[in-house]
Amino acid sequence: MKSFLTTSLFFILFSATAQAEINIFACEPEWAALSQELGGNKVTTYSATTGLQDPHYIQARPSLIAKARRADLLVCTGAELEAGWLPLLQRKSGNAAIQQGAPGAFMATDYVQLTAIPTQLDRSQGHIHAAGNPHIQTSPVMLLEVAKILSMRFQQLDPDNQVYYEQRWTNFELRWQAAINKWQQQVAALQGLPIVIQHNSWDYLIDWLKLEKVATLEIKPGVPPSIVDLNKIVKQLEITPASVVIHAAYQSPRASDWLVEKTGIPKVALPFTIGGNESASDLFSLFDNTLQLLLDASK
Amino acid sequence: MNSKTPLAAMISFALFSTMPVYADDLDALKAELMQMRQDYEQRIANLEQRLKQTETTAKQAQYDVAEVKSAPAPIQVTQNNSRFNPAISAVLNGKFSDYSNDPDDYEISGFSLGEEAGLAREGFSLGESEIILSANVDQLFYGQATIALHDHEGETEVEVEEAFIETLGLSNGMTLRAGRFFSPIGYLNEKHIHAWNFADAPLIYRGLFGNQLSTDGLKLSYVLPTDQYIEIGGTVGNGDQHPGSGEHNGVGDWLVFAKTGGDIGSNHNWQLGLSHWQASPDDREYSGGHAHGGGEAESVAFNGDTDITNLSFIYKWAPNGNFKQENFTLVSEYYYLHDDGKLSHEDELASYDGKQYGGFIESIYQFAPQWKTGLRYDWLGSKHRASDDELLEDADLDATGFNPQRYSLVLDWLPSEFSRIRAQVNHDRSSREDDTQLLLQYTISIGAHGAHSF
Repeated sequence: MKSFLTTSLFFILFSATAQAEINIFACEPEWAALSQELGGNKVTTYSATTGLQDPHYIQARPSLIAKARRADLLVCTGAELEAGWLPLLQRKSGNAAIQQGAPGAFMATDYVQLTAIPTQLDRSQGHIHAAGNPHIQTSPVMLLEVAKILSMRFQQLDPDNQVYYEQRWTNFELRWQAAINKWQQQVAALQGLPIVIQHNSWDYLIDWLKLEKVATLEIKPGVPPSIVDLNKIVKQLEITPASVVIHAAYQSPRASDWLVEKTGIPKVALPFTIGGNESASDLFSLFDNTLQLLLDASK
Repeated sequence: MNSKTPLAAMISFALFSTMPVYADDLDALKAELMQMRQDYEQRIANLEQRLKQTETTAKQAQYDVAEVKSAPAPIQVTQNNSRFNPAISAVLNGKFSDYSNDPDDYEISGFSLGEEAGLAREGFSLGESEIILSANVDQLFYGQATIALHDHEGETEVEVEEAFIETLGLSNGMTLRAGRFFSPIGYLNEKHIHAWNFADAPLIYRGLFGNQLSTDGLKLSYVLPTDQYIEIGGTVGNGDQHPGSGEHNGVGDWLVFAKTGGDIGSNHNWQLGLSHWQASPDDREYSGGHAHGGGEAESVAFNGDTDITNLSFIYKWAPNGNFKQENFTLVSEYYYLHDDGKLSHEDELASYDGKQYGGFIESIYQFAPQWKTGLRYDWLGSKHRASDDELLEDADLDATGFNPQRYSLVLDWLPSEFSRIRAQVNHDRSSREDDTQLLLQYTISIGAHGAHSF
């Protein structure tokens, strides 16, 4: 009887800690997926946006306020990507845990070196981000850097499960490194591939794969290019031809389509994040699919 | 964590209930506990061992991946474009207006218009120029001020539109605000005029509030910890904002509100709001007083109780929830005001029971990233009873069964999210005189990138 009692005591104790969960509000699907990889069954995740939505233009809608209200941790890109809606959610939520600077507000771009930091801040240059290009999820190397710190944040917030999170991180790091290895071999042929991009969402992918960016259709970020702009690019491409034009699945392909029609170079819609197309269903398949699409288009 | 109390209870139960009788068993229990502890420690040691091994392997793997660009060291960048300055932005707008009637004759049947509620002057005019400052004050407060500059009868007036502090994550979904703020009475009322979808206010806003109702006081709101968004709250104010009036030492007006909303799939979002406001105006003046035999006209004044009820509904649609390319918004609100008290004018006094009601429905369709168009329909009604009809006449409240209506059509060009060029046409039947109105307007925002609410 007593041994049963003591065992049940321990059972209650351990099952209680095992149920401690971090309720995560991810601003974009890649952070929801990464949190799930690192947190396993100790976290629940919700993504505020899908791969088919432009994360700059999200409404601070009622359902998001309700989710933010109950979140223990925000996992977002930062660098002003969510400037139009996240600060409002933080304020309206009345949730102390997720306010700026609290351990429950994790901004991924705080922990990596961003590129394309504008030297001159002037809105005549389009929708520029003062902190640099925020689209870091297009590089698996950057994701790995963020993952390490995110795992540490989990351990800080839920110390009872520290060992568990450390194991998940080690496990993820191994698998992710192996995947990076595989991807790099797979796309060695893409090195130096001349490409045209529609919006400057791909800087980190281009850096990682050592692609050659020949032109950007949106000369000023966020401003749809004019016919005059596009004609200039067509002229430029006659001198330095490109193999493919890429845009994110959530973006309107109009500008890319126009270029395809004028120049005949193939276009490819890359998923950009999880859910951008049906194949990109987790972090691994996101890059599998992205690289496959690039390889197919470059043939 | 919650199991600690039952745990303690069970331990004490286990120990105390058994101790006096089964001393031997206690030893056995101790031994068992020791055994379990040892087991547990052993397991932790094993785990640590394994962790070290994996770490070594992982490091090894990193060396193997020579091709990986040496990752830049994680750094903490100060990503705050304002450093310690508050976020500052300015909203500028200008207008060209053309009316088929004389705007000085403008009136809304059954409503008495305050000074600022009329039409903008004909021809070119500068709209309100606003300066908005906001920042987190410290770990507890957020602060925001909106200073508006506008011309009134040849003079530039400075107005504090909003100036409030608000708690940052007070706790458990509670937020407390103090200062001057747009009253949470209706959906459009909480938004700045420059964020409205039309160049002018809905008729009911113009008729009841002289465009917008603000409160000097406190606001408490609470977001329920439910999956469905439900927010409830209330405000108390000093009661001097029209349609309130007079100096009140304590609470001059109060309001309660409830909002709920959600998503239907990823394409549809909605919100529903209900609010109720009450005040007891002292000498609310009606500007339409007619002079009786020369001299300055004395205004008709209302004393009594006023309550207003609002119902609002908002629906938004965007394919896949991606608002950038294409979206549709429908906003509809209904207001009902009830006055119960006395009208006085010079030496005359009359008991008065007044009802003013109406609403609007507007639909906005953004058909391309830089283009929006919209339609709006306004309707109003009123029922006033007074013991002396002459006083109703003096107060401009003598509507005889006429229901004002207005149709508006708008087209917006948005070169970026910071600028907007707008053209709007109204067919306005605010009174028996039909008016066709043309409004051309630019609105721009410079400075910090503000967030926009739903």
